Amino acid sequence: MDAIVRVESVTRSFQLSHDRKQPPVSALDDVTLGVHSGEFLAIAGPSGSGKTTLLNLIGSIDQPTSGRVLIEGVDTSRLGPGRMAALRREKIGFVFQTFNLIPVFSAAENVEYPLLISGVNSRERRERVADALDSVGLSARAGHRPDLLSGGERQRVAVARAIVHRPALVLADEPTANLDTHNATQLIDVMHGLNRRLGLTFIFSTHDSRLLEHTDRIVRLCDGAIQSDSLKEGGLREQVPALSVS
Amino acid sequence: MSKFLLLAFRNVFRNRRRTIMTLLMVAGGVTGLLLSGGFFAFMIDGLREHTIQEGLGHLQIFTAEHSRRDEVRVLDTGIDNWQQVAEAIKGGPHVRGIAPRIDFYGMVSNGSKSSVFMGSAVDPVAENSLGFTPRLSSGHDLSSKPDGEVEALIGSGLAKAMHVKVGDVLTVLAVTSDGALNGVDVQIAGIVKTGYDEMDARYLRIPLSSAQRLLQSERVTNLVVGLDNTSNTDAAAAAMVPRLKGLPQQMVLKKWIDLASYYLQVRNMFSGIFLFLGLIVFFMVLMASVNTLLMAMFERTREIGTMLAMGTPRPWIVALFMLEATLTGCLGALAGVLGGNLLAFVINVSGLRMPAPPGLTVPIAFHVLHIPALMIGSSLIVVASLALASILPAIRASRLQIAEALAHV
Repeated sequence: MDAIVRVESVTRSFQLSHDRKQPPVSALDDVTLGVHSGEFLAIAGPSGSGKTTLLNLIGSIDQPTSGRVLIEGVDTSRLGPGRMAALRREKIGFVFQTFNLIPVFSAAENVEYPLLISGVNSRERRERVADALDSVGLSARAGHRPDLLSGGERQRVAVARAIVHRPALVLADEPTANLDTHNATQLIDVMHGLNRRLGLTFIFSTHDSRLLEHTDRIVRLCDGAIQSDSLKEGGLREQVPALSVS
Repeated sequence: MSKFLLLAFRNVFRNRRRTIMTLLMVAGGVTGLLLSGGFFAFMIDGLREHTIQEGLGHLQIFTAEHSRRDEVRVLDTGIDNWQQVAEAIKGGPHVRGIAPRIDFYGMVSNGSKSSVFMGSAVDPVAENSLGFTPRLSSGHDLSSKPDGEVEALIGSGLAKAMHVKVGDVLTVLAVTSDGALNGVDVQIAGIVKTGYDEMDARYLRIPLSSAQRLLQSERVTNLVVGLDNTSNTDAAAAAMVPRLKGLPQQMVLKKWIDLASYYLQVRNMFSGIFLFLGLIVFFMVLMASVNTLLMAMFERTREIGTMLAMGTPRPWIVALFMLEATLTGCLGALAGVLGGNLLAFVINVSGLRMPAPPGLTVPIAFHVLHIPALMIGSSLIVVASLALASILPAIRASRLQIAEALAHV
């Protein structure tokens, strides 16, 4: 089985100072990682370890300074802005730490948005939005705007929005960071359920131990480099020995 | 597409206070344009009808010779048989009446003092039938059937200069068509206030038959044609041209607009002022909106980043911002049209009057016309201004670096 995501010798550095003589700050340093379809993978590490940077690179919303990222075999660094946007639209779902819902849209309309920009017809949109909201247990809250939803509900709407267009990959950046234990547990159950039931690939950054307990594989980052890549017994990668981990 | 429109519409009302301020600014601009434009149009329309009703008429017929050269002798380029010409055009579409005229010049004297005049000789019956009634400050119009004394109307300035009043007698002196000097005593039937000081100082009007006797000619300078409505001028003129062919003298037809040089000057001046006002409103809305829209873009940086991350094409972001600005412009324009018309209605029923402008001696009504073309034009100005103002914020929004936008606080 081929990897759905391949990160090959990726380095990402930022020029933080206006003084170009100052050396750039390295956020990721020669990271190589492979992720297979259906994995439930956590990227863990302290603040500033490069978790979000790595997710941004995998999500094609940032470009590596060197190395390359392949999504389903497509080298994202070779894509122009239009094709990159199309790749994100079709292949990737995003869940953000602060939910990032469109405040003037209802829960259902927020979930509908990825289908809208993909040109899905209205009847199919309605059906898929209903399914997605149902899968996160929020059918009854479909007409509510984000400001009338709890934090946990908002994040579940964000998950529904991330999966509604049936992406190959869902990226979640600290999805439980702004949730209390009850809502965090609920969200973890929802994400895990979607992973098991639909075979969706989840990659998320977290340092939430509640979430880490449920993951099959944990990649630990420290100072921009992979410190460890551990797999639970029975995890997916055991059946796929071809992946390289550095 | 409807969802996209819905998103834009809801975004317009996201920050209500700011939107209301923007709408008030846009509506204020439209209202200002409607009130100023409506008032200008009222004045221009009033001046047009005043010019026509003061005696210019809608159409005038001259001999072709009159158009080609100046008179060498009095009435040597005039119409020989004006009754024949009048018969040819009578009954044409929209024609309400025909009045013969003679323009002549000379001097008036009260026995101890004299002054120059610009005279017109008219057929009082024909003039009255066209509604060309002079604006009298005292006395009465020329009688239809004068008996005894020759009647005359003179301007208020001329009456003051000659120290005469209604009922007094003046001597009118003019050169005849043969080049001799001739004179006739006229009794002042009425004193006219045209509204223009310069005109009042030279105005003299006597009956056509008296002028023909004075000038010793059966000719007239021109025929003035009155129509049922000014808007029918072009149609009536087109129908009249063939009727004027085949007459003993070659005739030329002139429309009122070709003869109303003062009206054209005033109209051009007001058009220039209105254009200037329109530009001020355009740039006022443009500058204020750029600032507001940039602020809105800045506040929504993370949301735009999210939309871009989900794969929203960048042109969609540009379109969204431009659509929001255009919607704001449309709503502001609608409010401005409603507000402007309401204010115009209040002004019109209040009966306000403006002081007499330079050159006029009577105050003018402060009346505002409701003009659909002006409403559409003013609305387009502000909508275009807002759409233009949104280009910079829209492009900036679409060019945001996604990762940076998502990290925006």
